[in-house]
Amino acid sequence: MFEFRHITKQFSEKFVLQDFSFKIAEGDKVNIVGRSGIGKTTLFRLLLGFEKPDSGAIYYKNEPITDINVWELRKKVAYVSQDLNIGRGNVQTFFDETLSLKANILQKSNSKAGIKKQFACFELSEDILSKNIEELSGGEKQRIEIINALILNRKIFFLDEITSALDKVLKAKTLDYFLQNPDFTVLYISHDSYLPTGVELKTLKLDEL
Amino acid sequence: MIGAQDLSGFSMFMCGIMLLVPLLGVWYLKLGIARNLFVSTLRMVVQLILIGFFLEYIFKYNNWLINLSWFLVMITSAVFSVIKNSDLKLNHFVLPVLLSFILANFLVVLYFNYFIVNIDFILDAKYMIAIGGMILGNSLRSNVVGLGDFYKALRKDEQLYFYKLSLGATKYEALLPFAKRSFISALNPTIATMATMGIVSLPGMMTGQILGGSVPLVAIKYQIAIMIAILASTFLSISLSLLFTVRYSFHKNGTLKKEIFRISNN
Repeated sequence: MFEFRHITKQFSEKFVLQDFSFKIAEGDKVNIVGRSGIGKTTLFRLLLGFEKPDSGAIYYKNEPITDINVWELRKKVAYVSQDLNIGRGNVQTFFDETLSLKANILQKSNSKAGIKKQFACFELSEDILSKNIEELSGGEKQRIEIINALILNRKIFFLDEITSALDKVLKAKTLDYFLQNPDFTVLYISHDSYLPTGVELKTLKLDEL
Repeated sequence: MIGAQDLSGFSMFMCGIMLLVPLLGVWYLKLGIARNLFVSTLRMVVQLILIGFFLEYIFKYNNWLINLSWFLVMITSAVFSVIKNSDLKLNHFVLPVLLSFILANFLVVLYFNYFIVNIDFILDAKYMIAIGGMILGNSLRSNVVGLGDFYKALRKDEQLYFYKLSLGATKYEALLPFAKRSFISALNPTIATMATMGIVSLPGMMTGQILGGSVPLVAIKYQIAIMIAILASTFLSISLSLLFTVRYSFHKNGTLKKEIFRISNN
């Protein structure tokens, strides 16, 4: 489904990726590991077209990702960033804004029930819907961002440290939610060495260059 | 028209004496701005003398082409001032911002002259240059804030913009929250000024009109009209300058061009 072909990416003097190649098939669960600052998040930014490789190309369904078709890809991928600056204002409005985007309008009809289900699943109280994002704790924001990704009903997930502020039980539950679903293609960055049972994980290790 | 009483040479001399208060005070307290204060005062005097003579001629001839050209010069210098006071690169922004300021200000001033003042010659120097100057001058700060903050916030909160794009937003959808914030910060000062107008401050235009011989009830009508014109022109010029500049400030993949900023970040 995705393929990195001989990607090189440099920031100022430092190489983040050098002649990097990797294949990801539909349904794969890929754990991206490597010490912090090595460029794990850069992989997601390359995939989403926010950064461009200095050389090489990334393929999605055997087509190279370009400035033009990346807009379509952004409608198929659900990205959960590690950054908790996801906006301000009311939580329900936050979900509404996501669903009001032209690309997501079809998901709007059933969203109320979907959100309710996800809140229960991720152990959030429904009072939070009427709260403001800036009042929430880190763990709550993280789960709001996860639910915001799930209500889009997409099948490809890029998850960047999405459990860093969650407790151990919720961490396992959250990762299982994504990793145990055979329909999902998941790329995730996580500092925890959590191993889900019965799931074949691929590991993408970024090493010192 | 009776006009305000002329100020004699002696009056201007007394004015100079009054300048000694801040000048000596600043010097005595070693604030380090005495030189600046002096130079700025000098500049003001020279510039105003020149413009005084210049306007005498403009009002005397009252030729539509000259009036129009002078208003264009005023708008152009406003545009340069807006861009210079932001972190944005002049050559990248000057054309789209100039175009939006010309559209916004001409539209508002001509509307004002035609429908509100109800004069036949809508390019009349007295109205076009005086009213236009009021509107330009008062919307300048708002425009600096509006345009500058939009791009500044976009650079600072780039993650948030990317997050919106990753949800499938179009460029315009992802920029909307930034545009909203920029409108709010640009319009708020004028809205606040309107709320205290007449109590805390007597606006310059009213003072001028009253000294010029208008009765206060006429002066307030102009003041109300001008404040609304300022709001309208601010809103229009920000909308248009955002709309026009956004077209050229992003790569095809939706990322912000870094070369539009004068000062590079990290």
